[in-house]
Amino acid sequence: MKRGALKRALGIYWWVLLFFLYLPLAVVVLFSFNSINSAAIFESFSLRWYYRLLANDQIMSALWHSIVLAMSSSVIAVLLGTLIGYGLYRHRRRGLGWLIVLIYLPIVMPDIVFGIADMTFFVRINALTGWLAPGLGPMILSHVTFEIPFVALIVYSRFVGLDPTLFDAAKDLYASPVKRAWHFIVPAIKPALISAFFLSFTLSIDDFVISFFTSGPESSTLPIYIWGAIRKGVTPEINAIATLMIAAVIVAAIISLLVTRRRPQTPPEGR
Amino acid sequence: MPPSFEVSRRSLKWRETRHLLLTTAPGALWIVIFLVLPSLYLVSMAFMTNGPYGQPGMPLSLDAFRQLAGFGFLGWSPGNLYTLLRSIWQTIVATGLVVVLSYPIAYYITTCRASLRPIMLLAVVVPSWTNQVIRTFGWMNLLAPETPLSDAAQFLGLIPEHMGLFPSSFAVTLGLVYNFLPFMVLPLYAAFEKLDTTLIEAAIDLYASPMRAFWAAVFPQTLPGLLAGVVLVAVPAFGMYVVPELLGGGRSMMIGNLVAGQFTGASNWPYGAAAALLMLAATLIGIFLLRRLGKRAGGGEEVVI
Amino acid sequence: MTNALATDDAGRPAPSITLEGLEKSFSRDVIALDGVDLTIRAGEFFTLLGPSGCGKTTLLRILAGLDTANKGVVRIGGHDVTEVPPHKRSVNTVFQSYALFPHLNVEDNIAFGLKMQGVEKDDRQRRVREMAEFIKLTPLLGRRIDQLSGGQRQRIALARALVCEPNVLLLDEPLSALDAGLRGQLQVELQRIQRRLGMTFVFVTHDQQEAMVMSDRIAVLNNGKIQHLGTPREIFERPANTFVARFMGHDNLFDITSREGDLLDTPLGRLTVDTRTHGDKVLIRPETIELGEDAETDANYFTAVVRESFYRGSYIEYRLDVGEVSLRALSSNQGQKLHKNGERVPISICPEDIVTVTDGE
Repeated sequence: MKRGALKRALGIYWWVLLFFLYLPLAVVVLFSFNSINSAAIFESFSLRWYYRLLANDQIMSALWHSIVLAMSSSVIAVLLGTLIGYGLYRHRRRGLGWLIVLIYLPIVMPDIVFGIADMTFFVRINALTGWLAPGLGPMILSHVTFEIPFVALIVYSRFVGLDPTLFDAAKDLYASPVKRAWHFIVPAIKPALISAFFLSFTLSIDDFVISFFTSGPESSTLPIYIWGAIRKGVTPEINAIATLMIAAVIVAAIISLLVTRRRPQTPPEGR
Repeated sequence: MPPSFEVSRRSLKWRETRHLLLTTAPGALWIVIFLVLPSLYLVSMAFMTNGPYGQPGMPLSLDAFRQLAGFGFLGWSPGNLYTLLRSIWQTIVATGLVVVLSYPIAYYITTCRASLRPIMLLAVVVPSWTNQVIRTFGWMNLLAPETPLSDAAQFLGLIPEHMGLFPSSFAVTLGLVYNFLPFMVLPLYAAFEKLDTTLIEAAIDLYASPMRAFWAAVFPQTLPGLLAGVVLVAVPAFGMYVVPELLGGGRSMMIGNLVAGQFTGASNWPYGAAAALLMLAATLIGIFLLRRLGKRAGGGEEVVI
Repeated sequence: MTNALATDDAGRPAPSITLEGLEKSFSRDVIALDGVDLTIRAGEFFTLLGPSGCGKTTLLRILAGLDTANKGVVRIGGHDVTEVPPHKRSVNTVFQSYALFPHLNVEDNIAFGLKMQGVEKDDRQRRVREMAEFIKLTPLLGRRIDQLSGGQRQRIALARALVCEPNVLLLDEPLSALDAGLRGQLQVELQRIQRRLGMTFVFVTHDQQEAMVMSDRIAVLNNGKIQHLGTPREIFERPANTFVARFMGHDNLFDITSREGDLLDTPLGRLTVDTRTHGDKVLIRPETIELGEDAETDANYFTAVVRESFYRGSYIEYRLDVGEVSLRALSSNQGQKLHKNGERVPISICPEDIVTVTDGE
C-alpha cells in the first residue's frame, strides 16, 4: 500500500521534472513560430522568422562555421583520442599517472580559464610569428584539445570491456600487426568510435566559452552569433535558429536511442 | 641458447616503449601545446605589468595580485572577495538543490521497466545536449517581465511591479540547477542500479522504520555515485560564465565573469590572469577535498568523470 | 625428473615439438617455468596436467608464441621458432574463454585465420563450409556470437583453429567452462577428431580424469617443473612421486619405517611387495584392496573395521580403520553383500599392486 503511494508520487514528480527540463526549450520553439516580435505574447502561427533566417547571411555563415568546426575537430580528436585510449589500455600495467593527469586536465579546467589561456597564447604566438591569427584554425586546435580526453576515455573503456584473449586470438590466427589493427581492433571498437565522434561533435556544437575567446571577427559560430544578438537586444530570428538546433539534438537523441536499442551496452553520455 | 637472446629481450622492452610513445605522444603533445603551455603562459602573465593598451609586459610585479586582493587607488574594497564568496555560495546552493532534485529521479528510473530506463535517461540528458546559450536564452524568455512566471511572482509580492524575475541571484541559481541536473542523475542512477536490494530488505527487517533503513542501507551505497555527481556538477558550476552573465546582474557576478571582464571589456590581462589563477586554485582545492571525502566514504577511485 | 625423461623411448616418428631448458619468470618471486625439457611426438595427443599456477598455461603460451621464455629453445618440426612471433607460427590455439570475435558472425570467425593468411575468398569459403560440416555446425554459420551456447562456442573456437590446418593445435582448458554432461561428450569428440586428423594436440587441464581419458601421454607439472612424463596408465599406477600420486587422487600413502628385502614396515603393518623398490612411501590404490571372503587367500592380510561406507552405484567406497590407520577402499559392485558400519572385515592387498613412491614437491 505505502510503497504504491511512494511510487505514484515519484511518477508525478518525474513528469514535473521533465516539464522543468523541457519548458525553456519549448518556449523557444513556440515563439519561433510567433507572428509578432514578442517573447511574452503569442499572437498567431507564422514561419516568417524562418524566412528571415534563410535570408540572413551572417547566420548562414555562422552555421557553416559551426559545422566545419565540429566536423574537423571531431575527426582529429577521434584519431588522436583513439590512439591514446589504445595506448592507455595496452600499457595499463605501467605507471601512467602523468598521462592520466594530462588527460583529465582539459576536463577539470574551467572553460573560461581554458578559453583565455588559449586566447592569450594564440595572440602572443601570432605577435611573434604571424601564425594562429584569430579564426577557425585556432578554434579547431582548442576544440580538439577538449575533445581528446572524452574520446580517449570512451575508447579505453571499450577496450577494457573486451576479452583480453581476443588480442591473443588475433595474433594466433596469423594477423600481422597491421592486419590486427584493421581486421580486429577497429571493427571491435567501432561502436565506441561512433559514440566518441558523436560526443565530440556535440561537445563542439555545445561549446560557447572557448569558441568565444578564440574566434576572430570572421569566424563566428552559431552560439557566438546568438550570444551577440542577445547582448545587443533580442533579434527574433534567434528563436528560429535555436529551434533548428534543438531539433537537430532531438533527432540525434532518437538516432542514439535506436543505436543503443540494438546494442544495450553503450549508455548515453551527458554534458 | 643463442647469444642474441638476451639482446632481443631488451629490444622487446624498447618496442613496448616505442608503442606507448607512438600511441599516446601525439594526443598528449597536443594537450601540452594547446593547454599546458597556454596555462603556463597565463600563470606567468599574472606576474607581469599591465601595459598602456591592456597588454601584459615587463617589469615583473605583484600588482595584479594586489589588485585582486582589493587594493586599488581608492584603498581596499571587498568587491572581489564578495565575488569569490558569492561564487562558492552559488555553487554550494546549486549543487545542494541538484542533489535533492536528482536523488528521487535516479531512484525512480531504476524502479521502472528495464526497457524504459534508457529512454528515461535520454529524456533527462537531451536538454543538456543543446547549447548552453540557447538553454539560458529560454530561461531569459520565461523569466522576463510580463511573463506568467514574473506575474505570479509579482502577485505574491516577491518582486516589485514591472520587473522580471531576472536579472537576479535567483535566476542564476535556477540556471545553474537547470544546466547541471543531468550530470547528477547519471552517476546516481548508476549507483542505484548496482544497489544490493537484499541489504535493503535486511535493513527493513532490522530497523523497522523505512527512514532508518534508508539511512543505514541505501544512502551509504549511493554515496560514491553522489560524490561523483557532486564533482561533475560543482566544478563546472563554479566556473560558469554564461549563466551569471545572462541571468544575473552586476550584483550576481561570479568569478568567471570577473576573469572574462578583464579580457573583453576592461582589458587588464595580468589582473585577469591572476583572477584565473585564483579560480583554478579554488577548483583544484575543491576537487581535492571531494576526492578525500570520496575515499573516506569508501568510494575509492569511483570518482570518474 | 630423470626417470620422467627415461620413459621417453627412442625409435618413434620425428619429434614434432622439442623444448630445451625453458625458463620463465614474471617477476623475481613468480617463477612460472623452472627448466623444462620436453619432446612431444608428431601426431600425439599430449596433455599438460597440473594445479593452477603450475606453469602449464605459460608453457602453452610459449608454444603459441604469445609469451617469450627468459631462457631456452622451442623447436617445432626441427625448426627453431623461439623468436618467431605468433602470427608466423603454424600453431593454433583454442582458448579457455574461446576468444571468439564479437564483431564477426560464426562464418567470419572461422574464416578469420584463413583470411589473415591471404587465402582466396572462394577457397576460404569452401574450407570453412567443409570444416562446419566436419564439426556439425553448418546451421549456425550465419549466427552472431552472442546467440550461441557455451558448447556451440567451444566447437566454433575449435573449428576456427582447425580450419587453418596447423602443425600443432594447442588447447587451453577448453572444456572447463562446460557442464559435466557436455564435457564428457566433447572429450570423446575431441579425441576422435584428433585421431582422424592425425594432428599433434597439446592439451592443458587441471582435471586428471579428463587428462587420462583423452591423452596418449601426460606431463604432470608442478612449480614450473615436470614431475612425471608418461602414459596415463604409468602415471596413475606408478606415479613418480607423492605429488603426482596425490594429484592423481591417491590418498592411501604410508611412510616406510624400515625395509628388509621385499618386506616393508609401515604404520599399517608389515607389507610384502613384489619388486625391490626404493621409494620413500607406500602407495595402496583403493581399488586393489580386496575385502571379505576373497581376502583370506592373499599375502598382505589385515583385519579392518568399516567406519563409513558410501554406495556409489557401480562401486562401493569404504573408509576403513586398520588399527590407528585409516584406509580408503573401493569395491566394484558385483552383487556381493554390503559391509555395515562397525563391521569387522578381513582385507588383503596383492603384493604386485603395491608401489612405492619418492617424496616429491
